Amino acid sequence: MAVNPEEMEVRQDVVRREMSEQTFEAGTAIRQASLWRDAWRRFTHNKAAVISMVFFVILLLYVIIAPIVSPYDPNAVNFDIAYQSPNLHHFFGTDEFGRDLFIRTALGGRISIGIGFAGTLAIMIVGILYGSISGFVGGWLDNAMMRFLDALYGLPYLPFAIITLAIFGVVNFWTMVVALTIASWFTTARVMRGQIISLKENDYVRAARAIGARWHRILFRHLLPNTLGVAVVFIFLELPNVVLGEAFLSFLGLGINPPNASWGSLAQDGNEQYLSHPLLIVIPSLAICWLILTAFFVADGLRDALDPRSQAAA
Amino acid sequence: MLKFVVRRVLWTIPIILFVIFMTFWMMRAIKGSPFRRSDKAVPPAVLANLNRKFGLDKPWYVQYGRYVEDVAKLDLGPSLVLRNQGVNDIVKEHFPVSAELGGLAMLFAMIIGIPLGIVSALRVNSWLDYGGQFISNLGYAIPSFFTATLFIYFFAAKWRLFPTNGWDTPGSKVLPVIALGLFPLTYFARLVRGQMLETLQQDYVRTAKAKGLRWRRVVVSHVLRNSLIPAITAAGPILGGLVTGSFIIENIFAIPGIGRYYVTSVEGRDYSTVMGITVLLAILIIVANMFVDIMYGVLDPRTRDART
Repeated sequence: MAVNPEEMEVRQDVVRREMSEQTFEAGTAIRQASLWRDAWRRFTHNKAAVISMVFFVILLLYVIIAPIVSPYDPNAVNFDIAYQSPNLHHFFGTDEFGRDLFIRTALGGRISIGIGFAGTLAIMIVGILYGSISGFVGGWLDNAMMRFLDALYGLPYLPFAIITLAIFGVVNFWTMVVALTIASWFTTARVMRGQIISLKENDYVRAARAIGARWHRILFRHLLPNTLGVAVVFIFLELPNVVLGEAFLSFLGLGINPPNASWGSLAQDGNEQYLSHPLLIVIPSLAICWLILTAFFVADGLRDALDPRSQAAA
Repeated sequence: MLKFVVRRVLWTIPIILFVIFMTFWMMRAIKGSPFRRSDKAVPPAVLANLNRKFGLDKPWYVQYGRYVEDVAKLDLGPSLVLRNQGVNDIVKEHFPVSAELGGLAMLFAMIIGIPLGIVSALRVNSWLDYGGQFISNLGYAIPSFFTATLFIYFFAAKWRLFPTNGWDTPGSKVLPVIALGLFPLTYFARLVRGQMLETLQQDYVRTAKAKGLRWRRVVVSHVLRNSLIPAITAAGPILGGLVTGSFIIENIFAIPGIGRYYVTSVEGRDYSTVMGITVLLAILIIVANMFVDIMYGVLDPRTRDART
């Protein structure tokens, strides 16, 4: 197997560091660290990132498990128990129709986070494709593709998403994903292009070229795997943006139709009666904050972990 | 220098044409004619007449050419739903409100955000820095509709310091401006802090310190100058953020601005208005980006070649 020189260097560096850090007993094997294991080690040493990761997972578990174990029907109307404050039966209380908010918030989270992940995935695919083609091919194609991107930057985000939804004529999970993706893949594409271009200059790419590797081998074997770190960081950077975009659209009444509700539409419901029952808007909004904050700190930790060179500046 | 400015200005023309083109095609892709939404069926002859009146019977390139021509003459066309009003009238009525809201929010964000970033960087890892970072993380994470609602709940409804909605008295402008300005504020604070920290590590700062310059002088003439210039580049994304934010804020505070009208137009299928406002906002962002690039090129000549 061809050894990636940069990785080799990092390995040696880590080994050297560990040698100096710990005293070895006779016979202990020197732990080999790959780039990813090393990144993992750095990530787990970052308290804020680990705590955020834990809270992020807790939110995911709540969203997945709560609807399964909850005894309540999320859409059952029962006016006798409308507007209950949080209690032992209804942890988050009930809304104007007596629906249990604990389960409705979890289901809303499934839609919000589901759209978030689907949108992020689509953004990554489009962005990596566009960016790597542009950066890898270079020349006039790169120029043209970047000019196109420049022009798209002029389009205001929310109106663009709204028009896309209007073209579809229906608002559901998938049209929402497409609308949010179309409005927000530019940054990822641009960053990926930059990555590919700077990686292309590496000696190991030249070496691969010199020994006659074909372009697809260079792209898939040497370039794309090395963008993985940045891509992982971008997943956690884009996720909150997509979730927030969906929340904004739903809040404006342009979101998914009732009785299905995302966090944004729950907040919109709550906004109509926030003076009498503030809890109805507080709970879905806090859920959104929770997601954005945890994803933000995870992204921060991942960036420091995967790109040690940036640590000095941070 | 002049060449750079001229090139940058000329370059915006194809971008604007392209964006109009995109918007134009997207509007055409929307199903359903605006004249078909009433309950009574419109007679075919009337429909043909209406189509002729608005030029919808011509081939697309004629329509596109005509639209570009109109935009160049600062005419955004008639509204398809409001009988006697053009999109221009709508813009004239609602845009100043949005512009004032956005301008005040930007001002608020700069006045608080930039000093916050500077102080955070100079006192890095102090409680002040942590406090500032905590605030800017919160401002980043809380969706604007939530802050706006909290503001109304406490400052307007509970303590009755400000009115809950509207855009007439100075008092009514306080809450929406702060709610809209919070996100750009955190953006500025974060960016300035990052830039400052980077500049503080530069060799020329160490040199200035080493030759015995007062710290205050080093900060003002070496660090600040080199850190604040990159902050200008934030204006583009921030303007975009303000447009998005104003849609929400105008809705919550019932402010008669362009964002609120846009949502109404989408729901009412008034496509020429939707298109007119979209094109207007796009041109606004493109021209702002142009000014940012030119200003950046003037202040930092190294970037001139790279950014045309």
